[in-house]
Amino acid sequence: MTASDTQLDSDEDLFEDAPCGYVACRPDGTITRVNRTFSTWMGLDGAGLTGRHFSTLLSPAGRIYYETHYAPLLRMQGTVREVAMDIVRADGTRMPCLLNSTLVTDPVGQPRSVRTAIFDARDRRSYEQELLDSSRREQQIALELQRSLLSGELPGSDEFGIDLDYRPATNTLEVGGDWYDAFWTGPRSLALVVGDVVGRGIEAAASMGQLRSAIRALALTCMSPARLFETLDAFTERHRSGLMTTVAYMELHLDERRAIYAVAGHPPPLLWDPGRPTSFLNEGRSPPLGASYASGSGRPQATVELAVQASIALYTDGLVERRYEPITDGLDRLRTVIDAKRPDVVAAEVAHELRNEQPDDQCLMILSLR
Amino acid sequence: MWRHVWPAFADDYRVVLFDHVGAGRSDLSAFDSRHYTTLDAYADDVIGICRDLNLHDVVFVGHSVSAMVGVLAAEREPERFSSLILIGPSPRYIDDDGYVGGFSEQDIEELLSSMDSNYLGWSTAMAPVIMGNDDRPELGEELTTSFCATDPDIARQFARVTFTSDNRADLEGVRTPALVLQCSNDPIAPESVGRFVAGQLPNAELVVMAAAGHCPNLSAPEETIERMREYLERVSVGAA
Repeated sequence: MTASDTQLDSDEDLFEDAPCGYVACRPDGTITRVNRTFSTWMGLDGAGLTGRHFSTLLSPAGRIYYETHYAPLLRMQGTVREVAMDIVRADGTRMPCLLNSTLVTDPVGQPRSVRTAIFDARDRRSYEQELLDSSRREQQIALELQRSLLSGELPGSDEFGIDLDYRPATNTLEVGGDWYDAFWTGPRSLALVVGDVVGRGIEAAASMGQLRSAIRALALTCMSPARLFETLDAFTERHRSGLMTTVAYMELHLDERRAIYAVAGHPPPLLWDPGRPTSFLNEGRSPPLGASYASGSGRPQATVELAVQASIALYTDGLVERRYEPITDGLDRLRTVIDAKRPDVVAAEVAHELRNEQPDDQCLMILSLR
Repeated sequence: MWRHVWPAFADDYRVVLFDHVGAGRSDLSAFDSRHYTTLDAYADDVIGICRDLNLHDVVFVGHSVSAMVGVLAAEREPERFSSLILIGPSPRYIDDDGYVGGFSEQDIEELLSSMDSNYLGWSTAMAPVIMGNDDRPELGEELTTSFCATDPDIARQFARVTFTSDNRADLEGVRTPALVLQCSNDPIAPESVGRFVAGQLPNAELVVMAAAGHCPNLSAPEETIERMREYLERVSVGAA
């Protein structure tokens, strides 16, 4: 190292013209010294900054964050790193920054001063903003797609009513894959569908749309529920879309008061009527769609006769499933809630009572014969 | 939040510490975003705790937004509470006609939208990482459980409920003796707000602390304990 090197990079220069802002404060946040880089950014000279509280240099949002998180964090752990905040310059403009702080303590651990390095993060912030905007756009598209697939009026008549409660996952930014459908398949018959596509986001919403349309088309051919699932198996395998989807499908024949149903990897429908206890329809079960069901034995289906004023609930696992507990507990809970509310069960009340803050959609559809 | 403070009272009082639902080590699955839309829901929980533990003659100590939760709880069941200690309370953060809350509506919207863009979420995600390198793991635990709500969505809703709340009208009906502990230079609940709270509450006194900032329970625990003690002695003498 030559003398001129030392002269060029004197301690003073290293501090004053460092490629980052440098601020020293008392433990209570009062500024004692700033370097030239920082005062230039701020558009003030050092004298205009000393004596001020550091948090007064921040945007109001940053100030709240500083007081509630940054300062307590610093006190507890001695350092804080890479926290994003905006500083407000003398001319009122903002400058996005990243802050690192170190708490200097005396030998007995009492705080003596706070040293903060401030990095210019303008480009980085705009890039992050673009990333956020684009993920938000994607999320919006998926939401709109989901909404368009789930809108439309449900059938109803003097003989029956369909009550629905659908709650998209609240704790997540992404669209989940639950869907429902109910439509006439003939003058005196209708189909009820509740399903759950694996995955989230646009892809799940698109798979959901494909399956929903496929089921609507197949149902109109008077195909039996078992045969309909077998065709969906081939459809999902062929198009590699909607694999492992779980779905409950039920055909309702009003004249015969009969339901024919099949359940692919989905929680069982629940049935109750004035003369019968609330019970699960545990027949007609088989694995999720496309689960290499080419064993040749075919999918099962089951038939149930419906009494006057019978009700049937189809739903998704989000309604009953809780972390850390077996699904049977959730099913028992659903039955208990419905038992308590019979005979006039309102889907929204059941869903509210079973409310689940876990990040999953929940869907409950109740068909009641009159 | 209270680790420096509560032990000082453990000999003379039964100390009950709790995390609000959605924060700290509370059962996060009990958080229902449709239920916790106002501070009243949190006040109901405080009453619930008092009932379940059969607490009477309660000295409620709350910091920041929790102080207002205590005010609302005392408004609801005054017979349970013997006094309130309110550290940095604010019944409304946003300025209003003739009222200085300290923030404009725009400021608060900016805070909330910056949370929406996950600005604060990054830091909550970062906390365990920072603490992973720390040689004092117990602090990491406290940090992640008390400062950083484990779920950014809950944190966002809580911030919205907090910073858009307006409970000024509730103050005058709360006759429970109260101490308002006001920090000097509190950038979140400025002194004018502390004075407003103490002025509106029928039985309150204001003590301005030497400590600066918004979290004297962390930054100046000794002074906080001392002011609390002095007050509790005063009110118990007054009652006797």
